[in-house]
Formats: sequence, structure tokens, C-alpha cells
Amino acid sequence: MSDRAIRTEQLTKRYGDVVALDHLDLEVTPGEVVGFLGPNGAGKTTTIRLLLGLSRPTEGRAEIFGLDCQKQPAQVHRRLAYVAGEADLWPSLTGEETLSLLGRVSGRVDEHYRDDLLNRFDLDPTKKVRAYSRGNRQKVILIAALMVRPDLLVLDEPTSGLDPLMEQAFRACIGEARDRGQTVFLSSHIMSEVEALCDRVGILRNGALVEMGTLAEMRHLSALTVEARFDGAVPDLSNVPGVSDVLIDGQNLQCQVRGSVEPLVSALAASRVTGLLSREPSLEELFLAQYGEGEHGR
Amino acid sequence: MAADPAVLVRDNEPTLTRRSPITVVASRSARAAGRSGALWGFIFGIAIASSAVSYTQIYKTPASRAALAAAYGSNNAMSALFGPAPQLQTVAGFTVFKISMTLMILGAVWGLLTSTRLLRGEEDRGRWDLLVAGQTTRRRATFQAIVGLGAGAVVLWAGAALLTVATGQSDKVQFGVASALFFTLAMVATAVMFLAIGAVTSQLAATRRQAASLAAVVLGISYALRLVADAGVGLHGLIWVSPLGWVEELRPFTAPQPLALVPIGACTVILAGTAVHLAGRRDVGSSVMADRTQAESHLGLLGGPTMAAIRLMRSTVIGWWMAIAIAALLYGFIAKSAGTTVAGSVHEVLTKLGATGNGTQAVLGVCFLMLAVLTGFVAGGQVTAVRAEESGGTLVHFLVRPISRWSWLGGRYLVALSVLVVAGLVAGTLTWLGAAVQHSGLSLPTLLGAGVNLVPPSMVILGVGILAFGVRPRSVTWVVYGLLGWSILVVIVGGIGAVSHWVLDTSVFHQMASAPAVPPHWGANAVMAGIGITTALFGAWAFRYRDLQGE
Ligand SMILES: Nc1ncnc2c1ncn2[C@@H]1O[C@H](COP(=O)(O)OP(=O)(O)OP(=O)(O)O)[C@@H](O)[C@H]1O
Ligand SMILES: [Mg+2]
Repeated sequence: MSDRAIRTEQLTKRYGDVVALDHLDLEVTPGEVVGFLGPNGAGKTTTIRLLLGLSRPTEGRAEIFGLDCQKQPAQVHRRLAYVAGEADLWPSLTGEETLSLLGRVSGRVDEHYRDDLLNRFDLDPTKKVRAYSRGNRQKVILIAALMVRPDLLVLDEPTSGLDPLMEQAFRACIGEARDRGQTVFLSSHIMSEVEALCDRVGILRNGALVEMGTLAEMRHLSALTVEARFDGAVPDLSNVPGVSDVLIDGQNLQCQVRGSVEPLVSALAASRVTGLLSREPSLEELFLAQYGEGEHGR
Repeated sequence: MAADPAVLVRDNEPTLTRRSPITVVASRSARAAGRSGALWGFIFGIAIASSAVSYTQIYKTPASRAALAAAYGSNNAMSALFGPAPQLQTVAGFTVFKISMTLMILGAVWGLLTSTRLLRGEEDRGRWDLLVAGQTTRRRATFQAIVGLGAGAVVLWAGAALLTVATGQSDKVQFGVASALFFTLAMVATAVMFLAIGAVTSQLAATRRQAASLAAVVLGISYALRLVADAGVGLHGLIWVSPLGWVEELRPFTAPQPLALVPIGACTVILAGTAVHLAGRRDVGSSVMADRTQAESHLGLLGGPTMAAIRLMRSTVIGWWMAIAIAALLYGFIAKSAGTTVAGSVHEVLTKLGATGNGTQAVLGVCFLMLAVLTGFVAGGQVTAVRAEESGGTLVHFLVRPISRWSWLGGRYLVALSVLVVAGLVAGTLTWLGAAVQHSGLSLPTLLGAGVNLVPPSMVILGVGILAFGVRPRSVTWVVYGLLGWSILVVIVGGIGAVSHWVLDTSVFHQMASAPAVPPHWGANAVMAGIGITTALFGAWAFRYRDLQGE
């Protein structure tokens, strides 16, 4: 038995010549909320489909709660719920009928919580799926996944099509799930969502994990933006260790700092600084920095 | 590096403007309809050629031809089944009698399937949103799609005409070029009308499946109307209210009556116009027929994937059962009067048509072959429904929950098998009922046996379909309907007798004993059922080890 919620070993998927996923090693601890980022075509959905046993790996293996994803899918699925980015449902069923069908297939439903979710997501369950808007269909599969209170939630762009109010409701639900000790694996393009919800973040590019860690760790690896205003001559910072991208505009200076800020602080101390501002990069900036390196996608 | 946007824009611009949206829809649908039109045109041509050639080989002497004409030329029940047969002493007359009803029905099925696929089916998949969002309007897009469908029909006609004219050059056959063209035009006329009917039902119905079913109901009614008209019960006027009847009234080869082209053309133009008009009056993705958006929830039959499948398919399946029931009832009803004229040397004719035995039973042998084809279509529909669940994205909802692929597919297989068995029992029972009204003296067990006898061939279609589903899911429709089309073709061509038994054996209908004319061959049935189950098991095994695949 493994004590990991998710573990992949050298997980690889090729479609002909295209390597969609390249020897991925990934571990998620129970109770964690992990964000999974990457440009379009990076291999996020591929990873998730392999974890769910919907696709077969070319190489490697994946486990969920110590159970093999390919060999014991039914046992694995008893403990997880999945939300895809697009909800293909049965057009002739009503929302209520759909939830009833999906609930009975799942085996266990917290009915109070389901009714609560219907309220919070403001969904009218008496309408037929055919008549739902895209966002409302997405709500149906979100509620269907949350209402079984699974040990693991696997979410692939779960909020696509939701309005900001519903996005907020979704964040609240994930917060509650975390508080209850549920594990969440969330692939998303909405940086603020990932920033707000996730303990750890993985960044995938061209099928390989290029970064994995807490937000704090990742910030540490990246540059800090420092802006300073001088009363007098602007000092020459080009030789200070860790400092780069120096921009001077009159009395104003802007630069990037990597690693320790101490050398910069010493250098600035020699001049008359009238204003100083330092800013940590947002996840979006971190992410754009990652995108920017090399090719964008494939 | 794909980082230079300027380069991308420069590369893309010409391709965007070169192909005007005015012709995009038309050429797309023409290409798709043309491809299947070419295939079916070929099948039509082979079927016509083989009928003509088989006649020249079986009825060599004028005496034998005269005997044939004497026996069938005025048999009302046979003309109810196959259409009137005024000139059986000629190659052309026999060809019309032997093949035209089959081709008319096949053409209609092709027409309604093709047009609902390219109109409603494309729309269901969301492809129209993109096109209509561009510079073209809904009406224009529909008009173009219909023009494209028309091109497909022309290809169908060209294929059939080419082979027919070529066959007609033979000394023994001797079809005139003009009459061969007119004959094939008649054979394609139902296809054209049902393209238009499918275009209208595509606007009326909410899904492709519904649109095709609606058009199939029209086909069923129009077949039944002409059947009654030709049954010699004083209602011949009904022929003029049936699209199939109009085609019959063209009387190609025997007594050409081009005037009947008027209702055919008028019907087509009016229906196509109606479709274009309706298209402009509704939104993309919606239907004209009011569909309730609010509905009381019924939580029955939603316990799992199998029950849900039963619930979601029940109206389609009941529709098929009713079609089989009505056909069986009519067949049972006319069998006795058709059978009374069958005697002596004429008996040979029926043998060549696929039946042995005598009288009523011999006629019913032919009828059950037609019911077997219908049941084959039911089997094909079941397989494509299984695939649609995967490609439509609803299967994922089950497979990410504690449902194994094996149990899902097993459940769907059992549902499909039950649908086929019930179809067989319905066919047997209703034929018995129709026959009993006429005091034909056929026992219920005999006809139930003949009904159950229909199941094994369709089990082969089901099994091969599931195999295709497991191995190459995107090929399912082609494999299933290809096998069905081929099997029908082989049975038609098989009349020649010169066909190798290796070829004959590839038809799922060849090994089926023509019960009730002869007793069902339970050994062969067991083999076919075994093949059906084994191929399905292989398919299920392959399915467990493959990726789920969308469109
Ligand atoms: N069925 C398939 N056949 C061929 N190639 C595929 C298939 N599915 C995915 N790919 C390829 O695998 C790569 C990874 O795709 P994937 O869907 O996992 O990306 P993603 O990270 O989910 O992207 P997005 O953010 O756009 O959802 C892409 O290059 C894609 O083209
Ligand atoms: Mg994706």
C-alpha cells in the first residue's frame, strides 16, 4: 500500500509520433490541493485520462490510493469523482434525472449536500439538459461530482463557462472539501483560482513536469521586482550579484532580483533612496515566465 | 518557432478568402453524399445487372418465360409484395419485378439517412454554429447543403446507370440506352424524394435520430399504402398518394409513363423549399416541433447504464418493433392468396427468389427474408447506438464511476440481443395473426420458429459490429452497414447460381433457412449465434484495452 493519493511512475503516452506525456513522475499526498498548469496541448488532460483509466499508457504506471489505475479501475473510481471541462450529457433527461442517474451509478450520495449545492449553484433541476446553457450543464457535472464527497476530486478545467459568482461558489466548495480532508487535483487556466486554492502547483510543458512546488517555493526561484526612486544620482547596479533587467527612467529605477536581496540592499544604501517598492511575482507572472521560455506549446 | 504572428497571418489569409463560404457548405455535403452515393450506385448497378443476367440464364426458352408470366403476371399478392409484373416474358420486365421494390426501399433508406446525417447530424455536433456564425445565413447554408445532397443523388444515378447501360449491351439482355437511363432514374427517384423528406424532418426534429425515425415512418406508410393499392382490393387509387407508388407508376421498361415524374419532382421541390424555409425560422440547434424544456422528473429506469439505455432507446426500439409487426401482419395476410397460384414449374421461380417449399409457405419464406433484412437493420442500429454513447461523451460519466467497461458493454449487448429476440417473436406472432385471419392453416409454433430463425443472422451483424467497436471504433458505421449492404447484395445476386459458395457464405442471410418454407436449420443457426457471440467477446476484450475515442 502506498500512502499517496496519486502516484505516477514514468507515465508516458504517445499518439503516433506525438509525445503527449513524457515519463511523468508525480506524487500527491492525501489532503492536498494540487494545481496542474500548462499551456494548451501540454498534456494535462492526457494525464487525467490516464489516471482515470480512460486511456492506456504507452509506458509507465499510475496509482490512486495505492490501487493501479489500469488494472483496478472500478475500485479506484469508488474513491474519486471527475469533472471534465465540457459536459456532454443526455439532452432528454432533466437535471434532476441526470443527478439521480449519476448518483445511483456512483453508489453513495450525500443528499443534504446535493440539495445544498443545487441552492448554492442556483441550478433549476426541473429543466431538461437540452435547455440548459453551457454553464448550467457544467454545474450539473460539478454537483454530481461534489455530492458524493469523494476522497479525491479530479478536476479538468472545472469552471469553464461559470460566471464569477459561480466561480466563487466553486472556490468555497473546494475550500470545504480541503477542510474535510478530501484531496483535490485541479487542472486550470485560471491563475487566480489556482493561486487561491492550491497548496502546491505543478507546471507541465510539452508533456514534462518543469516545475513542482508550493507557491512560496516557486516565488523563491523567480525574480522579485524592485522599484526605487532616488534623490540624486542613480547608482550603477549592473555589477551587483543577482540583479538583472535594470531600467532607468530619470530618477526612477526598476530591476529584477534573483536569490538573496542582500547585495542589492547594500548597494542601495550608498545612495539616497526616497522611495522603495518590491513586489513578488503573481502566479500569472511566474507562469508567463515559464511559457515565455522556448516554444509556446507545440 | 511559431512565434512570429505576422508570418502566421500572412500564411492564413489567402486560404480564408480563397474559398468563399457560399460554396463551403455545398461542397462539403456534396463530397460526403457523393462518396456514399458512388458506393450505393455501384451496389444498385450490380443488383440490376445480376437480376437481368440471372433471368437469361434460368429462363432460356420462350416457353419457360411464358409460364412464368402466366403464373405471376396477374398474381395480386405478389404484386402487392414486389410491385406489378406485366411483362415477365422479357428480361426487362423480370428485372423490374425482381429488383425494383428492393432498390426503391434501399434508395429511400439511403436518402433519409444521408440527408439527416448531413443536415441534422452535422448540426447536432455543433459544426453548423461555426459556419452560420460566418458570413452565411441559416437558410443559405441549408439550401447549399441540399444542393450538395442533390449532387450525391446524381452520383448515385450515374453509378447505377453506367452499369445498367453496360449490361444492356449484352445480346441476351438488350436494354435500350434511353430506357436503361429512365429505369435507373426511376430507381433513384425514391432516394431523391427521401433526401428532401429527410431535409424537412431534420428541421422538425430535435435530434438526428428523431429526424431519421420520422422520415422512416413516412417510408413505412408509403410502402404500406402502395402495398394495399397493388393488392387488388379495389383501392388502386391509393397508389397516387404514396411516393413509392409514383415511382411504380413510372413503369420503366414495360410501359414508360414519364408523366409520373411530375408529382415526384413537385414533391421534391416543395419539400426542399419547405426545409429551407423552416431552417430560417428556427435557431441553430433547436427544432420546429415544440420540445418541452421543463418536465416532471421520472426517476424510474435510471438505476444504471443498462437501464438508462433501455429508457433512452425505448421509443426508437418500439418504433422498429411496430414496423416489423405491421410488415409481418401484411405478409401473413396476403400469403395465402399469393401462394395459391404457385404450382409445378413455377415453383422454381420462388426457389430462385430464395424460397423453397410450396404455396403459402414458399411466399412466406421470401417475406421472412425481408423481415430478416429489417431485423439486420435493428441490429445495426443497436451497434451504432453503443458507439454513439462513446463518441457523444456520455459513456465517460459511467466509466469514471464504479462501472467496469466489461459490465457496461455486457449490459448493452444483452439489451441489443433482447431487442432482436423480441423482434423475431413479434415477426412470428404477427405473421401468424395475419395468416390466421385468412385461414391459411399455419400453426403458431411453426411461425414462431420462423421468427426466432431471424435472430442468428442479426446476431452475426451485432457481433461483428461489437468487434469493430472494440478494435476500430470510428469504423463501426461503415463495418455494420457495409456488412448489411453486402449481405443483401449477395442474396440478390445469389439467384444467378454461378456465384461461388465462398462468396455466398459471406452473406449473413445465406445460411439462414427460408423458414417457414423449410424448417429452420438449427445447426447453422447455432453456428451463426456462436460466431456472433465469439466476435462480440473479442470486441469486448479489445475494448477493455483501448483508449476511449471521440468522434
Ligand atoms: N486522441 C489524440 N490523438 C492524437 N493526439 C492527441 C490526442 N489527444 C491529445 N493529443 C495530443 O496530446 C497533446 C496533449 O494534449 P492534452 O489534451 O493532454 O493537452 P492539455 O494540456 O489538456 O491542453 P489544454 O490546455 O488545451 O486542455 C497535444 O499535443 C494533443 O494534440
Ligand atoms: Mg485539456
